[in-house]
Amino acid sequence: MKKITALFLALCLISGLALGCQKAPEPVAATEAQTEATTEAAPEPVTLRIYAQYADDDTKIPYDYAVAELAKAYPHVTLELDVQAQDDGQKLQTYAATGNLPDIFQVGAAQIETFKESGNIMMLDDAAKSTGYLDLAHPNAQSIIYNEDGHIYAFPYAGNELVMWYYNKALFEQYGVKVPETIDELKTAIKTFKENDIIPMSIFAKEKWITTALYDSILTRYLPEGIVALDKAKANATDEPFKQAANTLKELVSLGMLPEGATNLNYDQAAALFYEGKAAMFINGQWEIEGSTAKLGDKVDWMYYPVAPGFEGNAKALSGGGAAGGYAVSPHSEHKELAAEVAAFISQKYCEAKYMKRSNPILALDITDLVTPEKELPAMMQKLSDEMGNITSTTKFAWGLTQPEFKVAMEDQSQFLLTPDYTTDEFIAELDKVVQRLK
Amino acid sequence: MKKFFGNPWAIALFTLPTLLLFSVMVFYPIIQVFYRSLFDWNGLSAGTFVGMDNYVRLLDDKGFQVGNLNGFKFGAVITVFQLTMATLLALSLSSMRMKGKSILRVAYFIPVVLSVTVVCQLWLSIYNADTGLLNRAFAFMGIPFKQNWLADRHVAIYAIAFVNAWQWTGYQFALILAGVKSIPDSYFEAAKIDGASSWKAHRFITIPLLSETYKFCLVVSITGGIKAFTEMFIMTGGGPGNSTYTLTYTMYSAAFRSAQFGYGLAAAAVLVLECLLAIILVNKVFKTDPAVEGA
Repeated sequence: MKKITALFLALCLISGLALGCQKAPEPVAATEAQTEATTEAAPEPVTLRIYAQYADDDTKIPYDYAVAELAKAYPHVTLELDVQAQDDGQKLQTYAATGNLPDIFQVGAAQIETFKESGNIMMLDDAAKSTGYLDLAHPNAQSIIYNEDGHIYAFPYAGNELVMWYYNKALFEQYGVKVPETIDELKTAIKTFKENDIIPMSIFAKEKWITTALYDSILTRYLPEGIVALDKAKANATDEPFKQAANTLKELVSLGMLPEGATNLNYDQAAALFYEGKAAMFINGQWEIEGSTAKLGDKVDWMYYPVAPGFEGNAKALSGGGAAGGYAVSPHSEHKELAAEVAAFISQKYCEAKYMKRSNPILALDITDLVTPEKELPAMMQKLSDEMGNITSTTKFAWGLTQPEFKVAMEDQSQFLLTPDYTTDEFIAELDKVVQRLK
Repeated sequence: MKKFFGNPWAIALFTLPTLLLFSVMVFYPIIQVFYRSLFDWNGLSAGTFVGMDNYVRLLDDKGFQVGNLNGFKFGAVITVFQLTMATLLALSLSSMRMKGKSILRVAYFIPVVLSVTVVCQLWLSIYNADTGLLNRAFAFMGIPFKQNWLADRHVAIYAIAFVNAWQWTGYQFALILAGVKSIPDSYFEAAKIDGASSWKAHRFITIPLLSETYKFCLVVSITGGIKAFTEMFIMTGGGPGNSTYTLTYTMYSAAFRSAQFGYGLAAAAVLVLECLLAIILVNKVFKTDPAVEGA
């Protein structure tokens, strides 16, 4: 009897589930007259799924501003935010593989190449013209907007961002250390700070892009093109500049430039060392300007990376730079034309918000005539803005590299270089293996 | 009803959904792993057939070599630690004279129910070179043994393996304790009458009778070591460099960081084969003599 009851209950459950899986009845269709009337009155409401960064002030403020502006310009469009995961693009890749790409998504340079090959990214050349996006494009941002094949696949908003060496002016003054302009002066500074129990430079080397940036900033002392030369397979890792940069970095690390266990320090820990006056220098992107000014006021400044002897001409070659990434559109979107229009709009509004609310004038679009900053630019940003014309060249951040395999090798090997017993020969050999394969 | 369930067709009917699900969710992906590992494939497009190229490349890949070696190091650490500790804890808890057994039983199992992320964050604090409990403890005891536990490329893999060993000892403990409980008391009573000490009773009765349990525990810990990923992903990101890569991490890095799914799947195929080999070896070592089994 029990078994029959159990069987009956199981059948009930299965049939219940089956009923639950049935397609919901279609809503009663509106009459044609009603539809026509609605169409004339206002466009059909459209919801677009957007995959975007929304993690901190630098990403939340521009997004919220863009959404508010969108509501005014496109009242019939609603954005459904899918917050971007910090996962090396896994989630986006999975969306693409399962045919579930959001209508609009933020994408990096390396992933654009994969998406291009598989037809998962829409070409936006026409939308860039028709929306007026190109009319606003900053003259320096052409390399960011156009992909290497000459087409536009994403609407970037960030400009040529840079790797900055920040320093605590008060600590340099306190210990009578000259702000280093040459590698030798940097070695002297490291020695003095070490003698006084001050960490010469703080770095969150648990993240591998920053170790790449550190190596690249040293490499620009010898080769202005930096790691881009390897990414584009224009050079060999065994070439002299790459060895010189590795040897220099290795020597600086062995002198004690970085904190102990740097490769396991995260951003919060590394930043705390700098802002609490325990570290004299700090390496990060230019986006740190806003935060560092808020924390250290006029005690903080940035410096050009120290020059290597015999390479004085490279003094103003900086690491960093933009990449052809930004807001892209899925070619499978039901409203792809509208999505392209909205993507361009959102990117423009991001630029406005970054200029107005984040005091960042280094953007892909020149919107200085459209909006005014809510507060004065921080001194460091003003200095950077003034110096932009003097910067002779830029390279790429790790996420701007176009060869994913090289990017991974560079990230891993540059982090290795910061560990005590990893030799520069190992570093060069491992990098070269990848570069040769990609040639 | 009895007749219905005794019918082989009825059994087939009831097991078919599970078999189908198992085939779709397990066998099909494994076959796909081997098939796709023969392609140069970015995970989205059709890919190009490259034969055994991905496997040949694996042999020359330092990341793969490091990952393989780390898998065995990880497996060795967790196997030795977990089986030893779990056995000691289970035997001490199965002792009749032990007090507060129920509290200890729960306490040993608590790490198992914690999230891996929480455990990793806890150990990240403990391993912190400057403020961590471990280095502070050495300093407090006057032992000059300050270590960069997770930043030293030779030490990090052992430090991470210990975290896994610590968390999952409770699981092995529960299995072994259940095994100990299943041994009839009469065996121990007989041994006691014969004058055997507690140690001798465990040495000659408990441990030999737990061979099936140990077999399962060994399979779990060895394969757990070979396919380890989460701890290194959270604690070191595979670093410094690739010094805490395992085969799973090599696969992840190739597929999701380098967009080389074919190559990543070649690493995954090796991982599957290594796990199978480990299971076969453990089964062979612990093979029960049919005569003994039947006795």
